[in-house]
Amino acid sequence: MSTVNVSNLNKIFNKGQTNQVDALVDVSLSVEQGEFVSLIGPSGCGKSTLLRLIANLLEPTSGDVVVAGKSAKQARLDQDYGMAFQQAGLFDWRTVSKNIELPLELKGWDKTKREARAKEMLDLVKLPEFSGHFPWQLSGGMQQRVAIARALAAHPPLLLMDEPFGALDEMTREHMQAELLSICAKTGTTVVFVTHSIPEAVYLSNRVVVMSPRPGRITKIVDVKLDGQRNESTRERPEFFAAITSVREALRAGGGHAHAGAGVEDR
Amino acid sequence: MSPLAQRIVRRSSMFVVALLFVAALWELYKVVGPEDGGALLGINILPRSNDRAMPHIWDMLSRYNRPELRSSERKIWRVVLAGAWFSFRLSLVGFAIGTTVGVLLATLMARFKVVERGLLPYLVVSQTVPLIALAPLVVSWGGKLEVFGYEWPRWLSASVLGAFLAFFPVAVGTLRGLSSANHASLELMDSYAASWTQTLFRLRFPSAIPFMVPAFKLAASASVIGVVVAEISTGLKGGIGRLIIEYAREATGDPAKVFTAVFGAALLGLAMAGLVAAFDLYVMRNRPKEAT
Repeated sequence: MSTVNVSNLNKIFNKGQTNQVDALVDVSLSVEQGEFVSLIGPSGCGKSTLLRLIANLLEPTSGDVVVAGKSAKQARLDQDYGMAFQQAGLFDWRTVSKNIELPLELKGWDKTKREARAKEMLDLVKLPEFSGHFPWQLSGGMQQRVAIARALAAHPPLLLMDEPFGALDEMTREHMQAELLSICAKTGTTVVFVTHSIPEAVYLSNRVVVMSPRPGRITKIVDVKLDGQRNESTRERPEFFAAITSVREALRAGGGHAHAGAGVEDR
Repeated sequence: MSPLAQRIVRRSSMFVVALLFVAALWELYKVVGPEDGGALLGINILPRSNDRAMPHIWDMLSRYNRPELRSSERKIWRVVLAGAWFSFRLSLVGFAIGTTVGVLLATLMARFKVVERGLLPYLVVSQTVPLIALAPLVVSWGGKLEVFGYEWPRWLSASVLGAFLAFFPVAVGTLRGLSSANHASLELMDSYAASWTQTLFRLRFPSAIPFMVPAFKLAASASVIGVVVAEISTGLKGGIGRLIIEYAREATGDPAKVFTAVFGAALLGLAMAGLVAAFDLYVMRNRPKEAT
């Protein structure tokens, strides 16, 4: 069963007005259980919009979104997915532990259960000694780990990420990518990941969905054939570079205008 | 010494230095200023510097240690302190009512845009009504009111007037604060399918605190002003406002006396401000330091 099923999805902002934007046109995509799928494309290609439609933070103009076998809205109400953004978005007034407990609190879990789960999540993201710290006492990378722990606290089958490592430096970023893969391997979570970075998309994903703007659409889906455990040496393998090349070519082909792929980083 | 203690010591010493500076200015003017006032560029603006209009600082201070009236034994500092304490309690009640009403109104306005559009202009207008005119009116209503079988006490009218001034900054500040929660955090709460009340208490109020604290500071001094003005204009016995008008009548014979009560009122304002400052330190204790 696929975890996410998007069919014939259209999203038009300001429909019928002069500033009408065709954010997404006829997008279909299905993400299998346990799969890691990245959405990549230049600014304005609708990748974040697609993510928000899956999250039911936006309503589609037409088309269907099915998440975990339910309507997107029901999936949101049931907290069937966790979400992480570019800004870690931790609450300054809550300790690390309390931040992770937030989704559980909203679900009405009792205190002991919440604390046990927060501890488990902190072990998972390798920050066990920071439970009593406040977010602003942590580095950017550590904050992002806490955000991932929060997103996964309720053990959702699906993780939606919107450029979560975009604000991190290169070293931390690569480290976080490896961490994320190991977390997903442990938990079996399905991930839909929005990014600007081609190597990041290739390193992390089973499939890279290449999108292009005006109107936002899927131009190509690149299968990444990197077998076995991915690690630091993966980044030096010929298959890795081959996949990067095909994503880059897809981005160029999809653009259809002078600055195809503008806004996509090569790093 | 902890950074907090350092800050408190630094602030208090700054305060003492400022006080001494003002006192020095006062005495300096008494030396150089014209005895019976004077004109500057043809306009009569220089205040009189004689002992009747501007008593010496030491006269004011020593006045505290003499009895209030020739006939009584009570030292005046006791009387002033008792008056300040009385007014402090009224201000506290006014502050409590005002902030409660303010926060409730702000929440209502944040929840329903219609309420904000309909109510906010009236809130602004309410603050232009002169308090002096309102005070006797509220007091006269007070005499005829019974709340849950209790007769409306006269002092409560003074508190209500304090609340009337205090609620406004709180309502406006809190409203701004409630809408200051950042977009990503709101989206996060949405992704958890959090209800409006859950979002209110877990996100909007905590993000509003940095806006609410300055509003509380304004409200604290506003409630003091409201109470003192109400005491003065209605002649409510027991408070610092009443002492000020009584002592002001004796200004010709005993010029230092009225200043003892004025300083009492200042002390009252300081106490209220101190209370809010303590609240500030408490609620912001775990926030990033650059926010304070």
